[in-house]
Amino acid sequence: MAVHEAASARLAREEAEAFLYREARLIDDVRLDEWLELFTEDGVYWIPIDDAKPVEWNTSLVYDPPLRREERVHHLLHVPFPAQAPRSRTVHVVANVEVDPDGAGNGGDGAGVTVRSNQVVYEVRLGDFRQVGLGEVRPIVATVEHRLRRVGGELRIARKKILLIDREMTQANLTFVI
Amino acid sequence: MAITDDALHAPARGGADPDELILDAPHTYRVHTRAYTDPAVFEAEMRRVFARTWVYVGHASEIPGPGDYKTAHIGLQPVILSRDDDGQIHVLVNRCVHRGSVVCRDARGTANYFRCPYHGWVYGKDGSLTGISMRQGESGYSEHFQAPAGLLRVPRVASYRGLIFASFNPDVPSIEEHLGKAAFMIDNKVDQSPSGELVLRSDPYVVRYKGNWKFQAENIVDGYHFTFVHEGFIKLQEKYGDTTGDFGVHRGSSMAEVRKVRAKGVSWGSPHGHGLSAKPLDDVEPLLRGEFGEYYRGLLDAHGPERLAWIAGSGAMSIFPNLGLIHHQIRVWRPLAPNLTEVTVYPYELAGAPDEINRGWLRSQERFYGPAGHGMPDDVEIFALNQQGLDASAVDWLILERGLDSERPTDDGNLEGLPSGETSQRAFWRRWRRLMAEAG
Repeated sequence: MAVHEAASARLAREEAEAFLYREARLIDDVRLDEWLELFTEDGVYWIPIDDAKPVEWNTSLVYDPPLRREERVHHLLHVPFPAQAPRSRTVHVVANVEVDPDGAGNGGDGAGVTVRSNQVVYEVRLGDFRQVGLGEVRPIVATVEHRLRRVGGELRIARKKILLIDREMTQANLTFVI
Repeated sequence: MAITDDALHAPARGGADPDELILDAPHTYRVHTRAYTDPAVFEAEMRRVFARTWVYVGHASEIPGPGDYKTAHIGLQPVILSRDDDGQIHVLVNRCVHRGSVVCRDARGTANYFRCPYHGWVYGKDGSLTGISMRQGESGYSEHFQAPAGLLRVPRVASYRGLIFASFNPDVPSIEEHLGKAAFMIDNKVDQSPSGELVLRSDPYVVRYKGNWKFQAENIVDGYHFTFVHEGFIKLQEKYGDTTGDFGVHRGSSMAEVRKVRAKGVSWGSPHGHGLSAKPLDDVEPLLRGEFGEYYRGLLDAHGPERLAWIAGSGAMSIFPNLGLIHHQIRVWRPLAPNLTEVTVYPYELAGAPDEINRGWLRSQERFYGPAGHGMPDDVEIFALNQQGLDASAVDWLILERGLDSERPTDDGNLEGLPSGETSQRAFWRRWRRLMAEAG
């Protein structure tokens, strides 16, 4: 127990929150190249349909190892496409931040630390009531699990797993970064 | 005789008479706006199309064993597919015969019986009514009560290579006759599996779009739209090629190359309403010598070089009215309202193929399809734009005349054209018209 408490001291909730708020700010400000830099070299951005099933044979809404993640950002920033014309605008609300909620270990040994949060991402593609599919502010509700590691002293995302509250159900346009 | 201005501006009278909704004349094939927007047409489609022909309801691998079940829809009718202890598949209307509650709400499961959540009536795996709770006594049923046999059975059920179809019409022809040339196309997909079996193991993608169901039936075999709607995807291919998991599916990594590749191939329009697009490989040698050579050589041994060119090539099909196959997926579209449709994409595995191949196809589809993919969301967006455009009822007709004057009849009763023409789409509408013309 003493070891665990000492480990908890290594990543304070304040620091974890600041990191999550910064990530949310980068996404909402569409500073996606900087968002890419928040990940470790092998970092994964994952939005599963069912995280209990292996990705080897089960598809996900998003399963982005580094190059896929880079491709997604490149697509959003530099390549126009109908599903983002007009673009999504997002506001992330980050809450219920817990550091190492399962007591699995906390970052001091380089193995990484889990940070849980609840997030609501409000999204809209600007338009008016006459334009089908546009002009609706919708909430995307999720519990988010970040696996963070220190690289050169800085926190980095080894894995960001987003569990949408309705992940097994019909989804709308998810072509923006959540 | 060319179409006259009068015909092009005929008043919209309302109703579901297909003679008012299809303009079929020399050099002319046009579909009326109301075919996509009018609630009267939609309601008639539920009766005259979805209740009259074979409708895809599920795959054998979704209900592999006795007691396995899944729920589906035939048009707006909720149904249960259930496999009994003898392995037979029953398609049952998902409505308690008592007071009409839905009996089964799960997408899938395994059970020995179905019990209605309202008053506890019990049905067997074959839908027969096996128990009425509190049947006896003054508050129950007298000896005059005529208990139904069970859940209403959809009269015809048939499978082709694991694809399960059902029909409310007891007089439909055999499934083989209905599929016609589509059977060859399905075979080309299924025979990519060394044992000739598809397995639906992954979760599906489910998407709803704010447009008519017929947009999806038309779009999955629309070769013309790709370089426009998916121009952004082609740019990703230019930059990333195969490094991000395409697995060689979307051949061509420049716009010019893509146009060239897509100009080849063939489209068949079936008299049963199916639209079929195929592009056999010119040269199978690279596959036989490549990374998965052993797998492809196995297919070569089983099917010969000519057939292998079709099997290993690309194909897309729109099987009237609600089923598509493309890439390595089964796609089902379900009408909800004239301007609302639900599409489910079921990625499948090829039984007996190397794990790496199945993984490659899975990741490739994950990249293009699904609500966060780099391809399908753009089609979904276009469907919304299309339905919104049809608010302009001031314009009567949609034009489906690409390749009209050059499509040629084949020996096996189809019409042959090119994938970037509209042979496939016209096949759909011709069948639709014949079904909608019969009263009922």
